[in-house]
This record gives sequence, structure tokens and C-alpha cells, in this order.
Amino acid sequence: MSANRRQTLGVIFGGRSVEHDVSVVTGHQIMNACDPARYDIIPLYIDRDGRWFTGEPLRDLKSFEKDIPALPGVQNVVLSPDVRQHGLIINPLPTGLFAKSQSLRLDAVFPAVHGSHGEDGTLQGLFELTDIPYAGCGVMASAVANDKWICKQVLQQNGIPVVEGLLVHRRDWENDPDAIVTKILNAFNFPVFIKPDTLGSSIGIGRAEDEKLLRVYIDVATQLDRRVIIEKAITDCVEINCAVLGDNRTVRASVLEQPVSWEQFLTYEEKYLRGGEGMKSADRLIPAPLTPELTERIQQTACDAFKAIDGRGTARIDFLARPDEGVFYLNEINTMPGSLALYLWRETGMSAAQVIDKLLDLAREAQTEKRRSTYNYKTNLIALTASRGVKGLKGAKSARSNNSL
Amino acid sequence: MMQILIILLVTIWAAGTCYRLYLLARFYQIEEYKSGRFIRWLFQSRQRYLPTRPAVAALLGVLFQLFFAEGGVFLPLVIGLIAGLTAIYPPAKSEVKKKFIPTARAKRLLVASCTIAVLVAFLLYLTASKLQHVSETITFGAITVGGAAIFLLAPFWLMIGNMLMTPVEAFLRRRFVNTARKVLEETRPMVIGITGSYGKTTTKSFVAHILNGRYKTYPTPKSYNTLMGICLAINRDLANDRSIEYFIAEMGAYIPGEIKQIAELTHPTQGILVEIGPQHLERFGSIENVAIAKYELISALPPDGVAYFNWDNPHVRTAYERGYPQTRIAVSRQIDLENTPANGPRFIASNVKETLEGLSFLVTDIETNETQEFFTPIHGLHNVTNLLLASAVAVHEGMALKEIARRVSTLQPAESRLAIQITQAGITIINDAYSANPVGAYSALNTLKLYEHGRRLLITPGMVELGELMESENRRLGEAAITAATDIILVGDQQTKAFQDGLRAAGFPVERWQVVETLSDAIGWYQCNLSAGDTVLFLNDLPDTYLH
Repeated sequence: MSANRRQTLGVIFGGRSVEHDVSVVTGHQIMNACDPARYDIIPLYIDRDGRWFTGEPLRDLKSFEKDIPALPGVQNVVLSPDVRQHGLIINPLPTGLFAKSQSLRLDAVFPAVHGSHGEDGTLQGLFELTDIPYAGCGVMASAVANDKWICKQVLQQNGIPVVEGLLVHRRDWENDPDAIVTKILNAFNFPVFIKPDTLGSSIGIGRAEDEKLLRVYIDVATQLDRRVIIEKAITDCVEINCAVLGDNRTVRASVLEQPVSWEQFLTYEEKYLRGGEGMKSADRLIPAPLTPELTERIQQTACDAFKAIDGRGTARIDFLARPDEGVFYLNEINTMPGSLALYLWRETGMSAAQVIDKLLDLAREAQTEKRRSTYNYKTNLIALTASRGVKGLKGAKSARSNNSL
Repeated sequence: MMQILIILLVTIWAAGTCYRLYLLARFYQIEEYKSGRFIRWLFQSRQRYLPTRPAVAALLGVLFQLFFAEGGVFLPLVIGLIAGLTAIYPPAKSEVKKKFIPTARAKRLLVASCTIAVLVAFLLYLTASKLQHVSETITFGAITVGGAAIFLLAPFWLMIGNMLMTPVEAFLRRRFVNTARKVLEETRPMVIGITGSYGKTTTKSFVAHILNGRYKTYPTPKSYNTLMGICLAINRDLANDRSIEYFIAEMGAYIPGEIKQIAELTHPTQGILVEIGPQHLERFGSIENVAIAKYELISALPPDGVAYFNWDNPHVRTAYERGYPQTRIAVSRQIDLENTPANGPRFIASNVKETLEGLSFLVTDIETNETQEFFTPIHGLHNVTNLLLASAVAVHEGMALKEIARRVSTLQPAESRLAIQITQAGITIINDAYSANPVGAYSALNTLKLYEHGRRLLITPGMVELGELMESENRRLGEAAITAATDIILVGDQQTKAFQDGLRAAGFPVERWQVVETLSDAIGWYQCNLSAGDTVLFLNDLPDTYLH
């Protein structure tokens, strides 16, 4: 529906991932920033077990110290993949005499779920099925950005500087760790970083100075993920973060930030909880103290990278830079950054409400693009198959694939 | 024993009555359950209200029973049986043009009237039971008289049944409307109402097609445009579908107040007034009354709603100038772009060209001064207006003219509305059989004119339902037709008199036109006399099943 009417907006937070708590905070930041005159907010909470809930109490952070399902006003809910529902089924399995399930139309959804089952394209896939416009990156951009190894390939292909790395499969590591260590030692000098390939947070990431630690960290990382990447450590570098906003036509970059408590590596809390409401920005420098020329190059690279993965909406793109030498590497793309990187946009001159409006505009644009593609194309294949029998068709198909061999 | 015989005879009459009720229900349905119309139909022929065979059978039966069978049970009983069975034996089946449709309402009506008939038959049984103590002969005679009366009064039971069901039907209709209202409250689509004397259905499909480029719409199917039709559409297709963003409702009016009722149900926030013209004039009385009825849609809009008007129609323009609601958007294809009036139309079509491929024209948005080229494979100049109206809606809903032009280029003509096809024999058929209004007719003639090679045949029964304007409009159409067609076939002598006068007045050569009685005659003629490269236009109110 055209944007000048009040919209029912579902904000999804929580999630079956290690970043559950951060997501709850991000979700509340988004809900509080939305203009109530324009949006009717429906909170949608996914708990650690993957159950979905809605209800007014979920808009209060204090509720999350209690037993959510037992709170009055909290109801089970599912997001229906049936296009005709276009939203939620509240209380999908009613029990009790007067209990009834009901459906609620959503005009748009805003996912605020970080990490697995949220930032990796899976949730986005559900949105695609529902046909509801959603904020943020689509299925592929989310999935690519979430997979460090694939992302590295795509960025390299587009001429964006990334840190050299190697991929280790869990099964290969379990079969013959020595061969893999040899391969790593041939490729890189210590120190190296060991990272689970698809985990969004810093969990499982290790910095190894020697072979013994290398083995330990790979053991740890393979507990967490099927694939693990080994990266050459960039020493004497600073971390620079840049947020981007837009889609594959126009992307705009925020001011840069430099986290200052960079010592060995970011801890989990540092990475996500800075910039939370009420926190002073003592642990980061905004803008980052870089030359205008380097700042501009990093911003441009951030925009290029976002376009390269066909991003839409927003992302916080993290770089490792050696300002003195003027070199930098793209470290990772977070398509659902903690707090939506709202603190960076505030410094760039955009309020949280403006960022949210922009993200929802982009969501509607994308929906329009989707509408332009035809999905419903009627063929007489089924009738044809029914008249010939399924076997006949199989033969026809294999004949064709033989031709292409 | 006697009891059983009485029950047997009464049951025969009751069963016969019920079957007759069933047969009559079809005609009652055709007369739209209106007793007045049904009575008129009934008294058109004596066979209908007093069928010969049952009447004679009953009369003879009673006479024989009373005068020949003096006392006793056997003879009166046999005579009664013969008379009853002869009377109720169903008549031979005649040709059925319009079948009985067993709708829920018809079933309810049948149950009600059959119940009445059975109750009356039960009274007859009670009476007969009393009489048997007096005389068996009189008892059987009374059953024949009573049974025949029940049988012959079947139309009456039907009407009583309908009367008794009226509050029930009203209640059910209200419930149906309430269900529709609830569906709309739950699914909350934006409702766009479309009304006008003609062009509604086409404009509706254009709005839906253009908006579908960006949004999801649901237009009322076919020409469903009455309150019940719209409720049916809502309850059947909109229920449980919350993905619909725009509900595009075509609103028709046969009586003043109808559109108001539809608007009270659907609460449109946007309304389109396409054309006001001499349509259904014999029901409305005057064009002014038509205009009042159509304006009900605009009055029903909220003050912050949006209304779209066809500036080129003087009656619609008057509605535009009444100044409600705040946001009014008018469109024109006739106004000079260099010379637009203040507070005039916002979207103007210029350089309108119709070719064999379709229509091309420029659309200018006066407010933004933007001009966009449009092309569409649709025919008929009047469709430019319909497209402008649909584009105005789309612009208001946030689409760019460029985007709209792209959608317009993929339009398909609605069935039998200026749809063009070529037969195996190579004859081009322009099918405009559904529309029956002056604006569409002149557009269709204009399209026919485009086929410069070969003969151009017009087949038409003229225009109907134009009230007192019928004669002058048909005459005018006849005069216009000669510029477009090389040959003309008029279907039906009586209704095309004015058309014929128009042809004669314009001096159209006699050998180039003819009057035939049926459409198949006309088709037979063109199949014999036309050849590849020729063109046929089927204009106005022709059943499209004949076309191939």
C-alpha cells in the first residue's frame, strides 16, 4: 500500500542464535524510534527455542526478565508463508473453550535478528514467501555476507581488498589435521585468525601465535561450524567501521568510527553493547581520526562492497586499516548490525526515525521490483503429463539433458 | 380402512401440487421473485392459471362421483383415483430456454410453499375424516373438489410462501452484507469505487492492471456491480485474503440510492466518475436523475478522499465543479493543451492517434508539467479517457507516469469489448458486442474506419435502453455509420427503424445495406459475401456466442 497511510509494522527480535539478547535490545531501539503516527508497531519476539510470541508486554524490556509465555497479553504467533494471510496467525493452535486463532495483516516487517536464523537469509526467505515488504538485505545478500568465505570470493572478484584466507572443512580437519596445519603454515606466518565461517558474532574466533594454539582454536571453531576459515592476521592495524544505507542503485556511507579499546580483539560485549542507549561513546572515536582522502576511499569501498553483494537496506562494514601506510582490508559485512548502527547515522545527520523510514521505503521499492517479475506463468505441462503419463515426461527430460552434455 | 383411502387420495393431490410448485418456481425465479410480475406472466394465458387437463379431470371426477356412484366405497374411490392421477400427471416438457437454478433462496421458497400446500392438504384430510360419517360419496367428492382446488391454487401458495419468506430473505441478505462488512474490516483494503453510465468495467480493469505493477489489487469480477454482487465478490474472494491492498469496486445503479448503499458497505476513499449518459433512461427518467444517482459515490467519499472525473463529459464536469471532496482530479482528451482552464483537468491527453496496432497519445500532468508518451494495444478512442482516469489513480498512489506507460503497453482488451481477431478465412472481426452506449459505439466505428483495405461491414441491432433519446441517438448513429462502413446489416426490423431513417436521410445506397431478423442471418451473409482482407464490426448488445 502506498506509503502515505499508517502502516502496521511487525518488528521481529530475539531469535534462535547466540546473539538473542543483543537482538532484543536492537528490536526495542527500533520500536522506540518509530513514529507512532505513521506506524502501528506489532512486537514479534522469537525466544531462544524458536517460539514466536506477540503482545504488548514485549514492548517493555523488563518483561524479558520474566517468563514470557506466562505473561498476560502474550500470545503465540506464527508468520504465515501463505501469501493470502499477508501476516500473522495469532494463537495458531487454540486450546480452551473460547480460544480462537485470528490473523493480522502486516504492511511491512522489520527484522532485528542478528546472526544465525536471522541475519543469514533464512528469515528473509520466509519474508519472500509471505510477499510482505521487509527492511534490510534480501536472501542472497544476507547469506553471502554471513558466509565469510563466500563473501571473500565475491569481494575479491569485485576488486575489493580482503585479508587472505584459507577454508577448512570440519570433516577434513577430523580426518587429517596434520595435512591442514602444514597447508596453513605454508601459506601464512603467525599470527593467524581462526574463525567459524558463518557465525556472526565473535564467538569461536581465536588469534593463534603458534601451532599448538592454532590446533586448539580450530578444534573450538569446528565445534561451532561446519566450515572454518584461517586468515592472516593484520598486525598494527586499527578497526574502522562504516555504515551504508541504500540499494544497488544508490548507496550512501556514514561517518567512520574507530573503536578504541582494540587490543587483542573485540570481546562479545564490547562488539555489541557499545552504542546502546545511555552508553557514552568513550570507547570509540567518531569520526575516526583518518585523513580525508583515506576516509573517502574507505567510504567508497564500503559502498562498492555493498553493491557487489547486491545489498539493500543497511549494513555496517568493518575494515582493518593501517592509516600510516594508507592500506585497508574489508573484514566483514554485517547486514543486521547491532543497534542498526543508528549511532553512526546520528553522527551523519540522520535521526533513527529517518533511517527506519528510509529502510522501509527501500523495502517497498524492492517489493515493487518483485511485482514486476512474473511468477505466475500458466503452462499446460500438467495436463500434458497427465495425458502422456509421468514416465513419458521423464524420458523427454533426460533426452534433453543428454544433449547438453 | 376408510382412513387409509382418504390419506391416499389427499396425498396424491398434495404430491401433484408440490411438483407443480417446483415447475412454477422456475418462472417465479425468472420474474425475480416479484409477485406482481409473476401474476402478469400467469394471466398472460389461461393454460397457465387454469390448465385444461387438471380442471376438466377434476370437474368430470366430481360429477361422476356424485351422480353415477350412488353410495358405496369402491366406485367413488376409483373415480377419485383416476381423476386425481389424470389431473396431476405432469404436462409434456416444453423447450426450456432459461433453466431453473436451484439457488439457496429458491430451495427455501420451495420448501415454504410446499409446506403450505401440505398443511392445507392436511386440513382437507381432517374435513374428509369428519365427512365420512355423513356419506362416503360426499367424502370422496369433497376430496376431489378440495384436492383440485389445492392443485390449481399452486401459484397462490408460491406467492404466500414468498411473502412468508420475505423477512427471512431480508434477514439473510442483511447477514450476507454484514459478513461482507466484517471481511472488509478485517482485510482493510483501500477501496476505490468506480461508477458511470458506461466505461465502468473497462476503467476498472485498467486501474487494476496499472496498480498491479506495484501493488496487489482485487477488482470486482466481470460486471458484478450491485450490492449483492459486490457482497458475493467480497465474501467469496476477499475473505481470508489479507494480501489485497486495493479493492476496486464497480458500482452500478438501476435506482437512486443503490450506490449509496454500496458505499455504506465498502467505504470507498477514492471514487472515479467515468461517464454520465442516457443509459437505463426508462428506469431513471432523465439524465439529471442519472447524474444524481452517480454523484452518490462522490458524496460518500470522506472529506480527505480523492475523486477522479472525466472533464469531457458535461454532466461529470458539473459534478467536478461542485467542489467535493478537497482532492479532485479531472482528466481530458479533448481540451487544448495550450489553453487549459484554471482549476481544470490535471491530466490531458494530446496527439491521440489510433492505428491498427492500437492507441498512442501523450499524457501531460499539468501539475508537474511532465509529459509521457503512451502506447497501448487497446482500441477505441473512448479508452483514452478510461486510461487517463486509471493513470490519475496510479499517480496519486505513488506511481510515476513512466512506470504507468509501461503497464499500459501490456494491457489486453476485455472480452467482447473491441477485441480484434482474424478468422481462418482472413476476415478481421472487431467484437464490440458487449457495449451498448453512444460513446463506445462511435469509438468502435472509428476503429472500423482504420481498415482501409477491403469492405467494412457493420452488423448491429442499434442501441437499446436509451429511453426517449433512443430514436434520435439511433438516427444519429445511422448517419455516422455510413462514414465508417461500406456495408451495413441491421438485425431486427422493429428496433432499427430510427437507424434505417438515419441511413436513408444520409443517402446511403440501398444495395449496401439490409435488414435481417436474426444474427445468424447476418453471419451467414458475411460468410458468403466477404473475403480475406475484409472487416466486420459487431456492435452493441449481441450475444457473443455467435461469433467465431
